[in-house]
Amino acid sequence: MRSLLSLIVFLFAVSVSAVSTTGNRLLAILDDVADKDNYSKFLGDLASRGFDLTFETPKSESLALFHLGERKYDHVIFFPTKTKGLGPNLTPNILVQFLNANGNVLVTLSSGVAAPNSLVSFLAELDIQLPADRTGLVVDHFNYDTASAADLHDVLLLPTPKTVRSDIKNIFGAAAPADSVIAFPRGVGAALGASELLTPIVRAPRNAYSYNPKEQAQVVDDLFAAGEQLSLVSSFQALNSARLVLLGSAELLQDKWFDEAEVTKVDGKKVKTYNREFAKRISAWTFQELGVLRVNWIEHHLSEEGAVNVSNPKIYRIKNKVSYTISLSEYTYDSWSAFNVPANDAIQLEFSMLSPFHRLALEFDKAHSTKDAAAYSAEFVLPDQHGIFNFKVNYKRPFLSNVEEKNTVSVRHMAHNEWPRSFAISGAWPWISGIGVTVVGWVAFCALWLYSAPPKGKKESKKTQ
Amino acid sequence: MAKKSSAARTASPAPVAATTTAIPPATTPAAASSAPVAATPKPKSTPSQNQSWTRVLNSLTKHYLSTTPQRTLLLDAFQVFLVVVGILQFLYCILAGNYPFNAFLSGFSATVGQFVLTASLRIQTTEGNKKDFVSVSPERAFADYVGCSLILHFFCVNFIN
Repeated sequence: MRSLLSLIVFLFAVSVSAVSTTGNRLLAILDDVADKDNYSKFLGDLASRGFDLTFETPKSESLALFHLGERKYDHVIFFPTKTKGLGPNLTPNILVQFLNANGNVLVTLSSGVAAPNSLVSFLAELDIQLPADRTGLVVDHFNYDTASAADLHDVLLLPTPKTVRSDIKNIFGAAAPADSVIAFPRGVGAALGASELLTPIVRAPRNAYSYNPKEQAQVVDDLFAAGEQLSLVSSFQALNSARLVLLGSAELLQDKWFDEAEVTKVDGKKVKTYNREFAKRISAWTFQELGVLRVNWIEHHLSEEGAVNVSNPKIYRIKNKVSYTISLSEYTYDSWSAFNVPANDAIQLEFSMLSPFHRLALEFDKAHSTKDAAAYSAEFVLPDQHGIFNFKVNYKRPFLSNVEEKNTVSVRHMAHNEWPRSFAISGAWPWISGIGVTVVGWVAFCALWLYSAPPKGKKESKKTQ
Repeated sequence: MAKKSSAARTASPAPVAATTTAIPPATTPAAASSAPVAATPKPKSTPSQNQSWTRVLNSLTKHYLSTTPQRTLLLDAFQVFLVVVGILQFLYCILAGNYPFNAFLSGFSATVGQFVLTASLRIQTTEGNKKDFVSVSPERAFADYVGCSLILHFFCVNFIN
């Protein structure tokens, strides 16, 4: 009986742990709840990862993201909807509030369906521009699936994502087989603004462009964007680490492109799609299952010999030698593991009062690391400046949740009795002996002076003069 | 040093004049007068000038030693000693730097201060200045000197850190 109970508890713990770090309440917004059958594999994957799915249509009366000021859902997926607006419950304002309240949003678009006004305004708020008329079609006459889009060239075959920068881990394309591609059927491209919170996950190939099939069927004269200007899959991470992903093609998530579906490249080669794994990673990243960092603990102390080694003291003295350690973990689907800083990157510590006095690379500290937590530490001498200082770790990278940790300490000046005594400094000895010689000479002089008193008689005779 | 020599000069101007006049005047004026006339005896004139200078210095020291009271001699010797010690400390500061500055200040000012106090004692006890310090007897002057010196030493030793 007892073992059965513990087994149940264990299974429950496993099922609970195998989920996002911010919660498992997921709201999917569809035009028609019956549409979800097209996405059964994708939604099944989400459910198997522990998400608690709710399906709603924008017209639903009961639809609300907040209840009594609290989030009702942790994550939202928007599938393409034919309605022009999303109703009073999903205004851009409410969606921004949802992001501010640490909610995550996955928006999918489709070229066949115009994006709702509410979503277009919401995305514009984040500096993501959609084509005019809220629709567009991305085509590429050099990278398309010859099997399914021989005429329209609108099923793009995209290479699996590479890292945007060399100091970022490849989260989305790391496990991809060498020759697999992402099928991107009938999608919409977006143009990203200059915001540093935006990062493209997949850009369009060089030969791709976006046009409006309804108005520009004959002549394409005015392009919305072309080539790598077009971001097909874009990510946005707010300062509170809430995430939004804009997926240009909802069809990418449908069952028919999943599971090793074969597509034919322009050169006639048949390759398998990476869509299922890509969809899993995109949703996992959006819903805080990937690239989530956690600060386990921060510790700083005096590292001088013979000093009392209290952890995290409130006060230090100028020129003290201090060591600082921060422990970080990274979440991957269902477990915390040690966070290893990518090869070309460094995690830095600032010791700052208004402006940083020190900015130091934190080194991996093996002694304080465990299997699921990596410690990074730095040892340095405090500046010769007293005041209120911060130990600050500000680690913000694309695709990783933001780490901004600030620990305030006072730095006092030297107490008058903390300076080295002069007699302990050999350079002072000549001057100290100078005083000694002067005093000894003076004593000798006084003795001689008293000894050499002039005869009394003479003095008296002088006085009488 | 300057004080000493000036004091010696002012103390007894008459004997100095007397000694210079006592020197046989045969060579010096002659050489001086003949120098502009003939250019050749120029090297001859330098040793004679040197000679006269050494003679002046000799008589000066002789006179200083014979006329200065024992205690004033003692004072002068002590002041010379202090000047030497002070110069050594200052040279060390220039050559080796002034770290720790407290020690330099206290060492150097102990020596300089002691020199100033000793000079004051000398002024108060010189026979020639007696009329300026009618109310200050030599014993009183010495007692003041000892008291002030002790205060100076106390401060300097404490200032060493």
